[in-house]
Amino acid sequence: MKIRALIIDDELHAREEMEALLGETGAIDLLGSCGNGIEALQLINRLRPEVLFLDIQMPVIDGFELLNMINQEIMPHVVFVTAYDQYSLKAFEEKTLDYLLKPVDSRRLTLTIDKLRKTIGENRPPNYETEAIRRIPCLLGNRIKLIQLGDIEYISTGPAGVHAVTATDEYFTEVTLKVLEERTALLRCHKQYLINIDSINEIVLLEAGLAKIRTHSGKFIPVSRRYLKIIKKKLLI
Amino acid sequence: MDLLTFSLNNIFALLQQMSVFLVIAYLFTKSPFFKTFHIHTLNWRQLPFLYCIFTVFSILGTYFGLPINDAIANTRAIGAVLAGIIGGPLLGGAVGFTAGLHRFSLGGFTAFSCGLSTTTEGLLGGLVHILLVRRYQQHRLLCPWVAFFTTLVAEITQMVIILIFAQPFDDALALVRIIALPMILANSTGAAIFVSIIRDQRKMYDELSVTFSAKALKMAEKTIAILSRGFDMETAREVASVIREETGVGAVAITDKEKVLAFVGEGDDHHLVGYTITSSETLQAIREDRIVYADGGEKKWRCNRSENCPLGSVLCVPLRVDNELVGTINLFEPKNKLFLVTNKTLGEGITKLLSDQILYSRYVEQKTLLTRAELKLAQAQVNPHFLFNALNTIIAITRKDADRARDLLMHLSNFFRKNLKRTGDLATLEEELNHVQSYLVIEKARFEDKLQLEIDIDPTLLSLKLPVFTLQPIVENAIKHGISNMLGQGLVRLSAKREPECVRIVVEDNGGNFEERGKKGLGMSIVEKRIKNLCGEQHGVTISFVPQERTTIEITLPAKGCSE
Repeated sequence: MKIRALIIDDELHAREEMEALLGETGAIDLLGSCGNGIEALQLINRLRPEVLFLDIQMPVIDGFELLNMINQEIMPHVVFVTAYDQYSLKAFEEKTLDYLLKPVDSRRLTLTIDKLRKTIGENRPPNYETEAIRRIPCLLGNRIKLIQLGDIEYISTGPAGVHAVTATDEYFTEVTLKVLEERTALLRCHKQYLINIDSINEIVLLEAGLAKIRTHSGKFIPVSRRYLKIIKKKLLI
Repeated sequence: MDLLTFSLNNIFALLQQMSVFLVIAYLFTKSPFFKTFHIHTLNWRQLPFLYCIFTVFSILGTYFGLPINDAIANTRAIGAVLAGIIGGPLLGGAVGFTAGLHRFSLGGFTAFSCGLSTTTEGLLGGLVHILLVRRYQQHRLLCPWVAFFTTLVAEITQMVIILIFAQPFDDALALVRIIALPMILANSTGAAIFVSIIRDQRKMYDELSVTFSAKALKMAEKTIAILSRGFDMETAREVASVIREETGVGAVAITDKEKVLAFVGEGDDHHLVGYTITSSETLQAIREDRIVYADGGEKKWRCNRSENCPLGSVLCVPLRVDNELVGTINLFEPKNKLFLVTNKTLGEGITKLLSDQILYSRYVEQKTLLTRAELKLAQAQVNPHFLFNALNTIIAITRKDADRARDLLMHLSNFFRKNLKRTGDLATLEEELNHVQSYLVIEKARFEDKLQLEIDIDPTLLSLKLPVFTLQPIVENAIKHGISNMLGQGLVRLSAKREPECVRIVVEDNGGNFEERGKKGLGMSIVEKRIKNLCGEQHGVTISFVPQERTTIEITLPAKGCSE
């Protein structure tokens, strides 16, 4: 069975070359290729690839940062592809299955494919070291805006996707609520909401153990019974 | 006895005494005190010394006097009057009073009037001192005519005082008639000669120190130009020549710690450059790190290389740079010539000076080396990312368009050849653009449509000279930090224009990411440093940026370009 792969590289020729090389191995089912981290998140969430051939140096969100934004459940194996190993090999070992240096040698690529086959065959899910997310990439028209965590009041999810809400704006993001809950200091207050504890102005207690939070900018978000206790504890109430 | 004959005899007798006086005066001018003695800068600490000297002169004047009619014809006045002129009324009064008191103690019918008049004479000298100083005529304090007339007036005053105070008046009148003329003339002339001796000696010292300073300065001036090129055999020889020329010594040698770096002058037929040091004095100077001097008299210098060496005395001064002994400077005089003390002092002084100059030239050299090293570093820094990405791009293009790939490889090799070859300080704008052009063609291939280039160069500027490697790092920065971090369409503008006062080269990108970089990177700092070093402090690199919009780097250069 072929390995389902995604190529992520900001340079057109680099993508094409990788596509050609992977095609030559005959072992890869190429799901697609894309040129930046946001598109990559979208494709990963939708296509669930088994492996990423990921460039490290990319505009706005680099390869390492992208990994931090992927759900652990659907985390693919990662092969970094980079022009120059300025990052120490140590960093690669912790965060990736393998790495390739550009220009990629097809014989070296064969070894990577073998390693991939073996790992996937043993059904060992990737368990890469991830770091806390410091900023959330959001789409704003055709631009990517990086929202600093401190600027966010809350995150909501619904049929229209995940939205990061600041005091003044609301942005769509590809990063899931689950990832944000795991890798940021935002607190879950409802099935569909994460709250930035610093943006809480007041908590209005309602009947039946429910509550609602008023943010500094005057927006209300619901608090479910389950999470009210945790929030109270956090706030030392 | 005929009055006139007596007076003449007295004059000769007094002049005789005066001669003894002048010998003492001459000896005084040879004393070490006199070297530090400057009439314009007398300080309080010198006054007691002057008081003693002039008091002794004054009292000796009394002792050397001729006893006449129970009185003494003398030259006591000289000491008191001169003390007054040179040191002011306080010194004059003190000397006059002391010498007068002494005269008073010797008794006689003029004892009181003589004591009183000597004090008055000292004060009179002081009065002249004050008058001259008030009128800014200090330089006339040592004028013989001033001394002459002051003493003349003082002596006339003394005669008047004797006539007024000495009793009986008839005896006093008789005495004055005998002594007045000889004393007035002898004292005035004596004072004038005394002063002229002091003045001439002073002048001699001053002239000597003027020529001495001039020599030292001339040497300093000549050697600094030589040593700015560094300290080696070549410059050592030139420095040795300068020292020999200026001091006029027989020969000058400069050594490092083992061998002779330079030898100039007599005996250069057998004292050859590159020989190991054989002079025991030089070796001792190195070993003990101190000045060794063989004056040619008691301690002779002996040449260990030749029996016929004409040199007989030497001064070996260790040459220290930054407290580390690096060699010696040796001044030789031939056997038939005396080693002048001034040359000894000059030799020691000039060595200190050379140490400083060598230190400075080393500092400058290291600074230049550092900038060169930094340039090399910057050149090396470009390579890995750019090279591997470029190769990756070209490999990909090879699959589809072999001609374009070949063209890109030509640009890549052009870029690296230029990078490796550019070693001088300056290049023309055309050469710089050629270098940047190859770089941009490759980057354009790498980013394809994502990178757009706008180049606008005033063609009359192509021959403008600017520091080599100025444009490339800045254009590279625009791509590396500006364009490659953008998701959208990237644009790099490169322009060179003439302005009234200067030439302005602008590199602008629409990334606007400068803020994230914070400050000028290494590459840009080096570019700026080199422009300032080679083209002048007023030129350089300025950065302006609008976040997310653009980053603009402006380079200003002299309107006529930079010159070597």
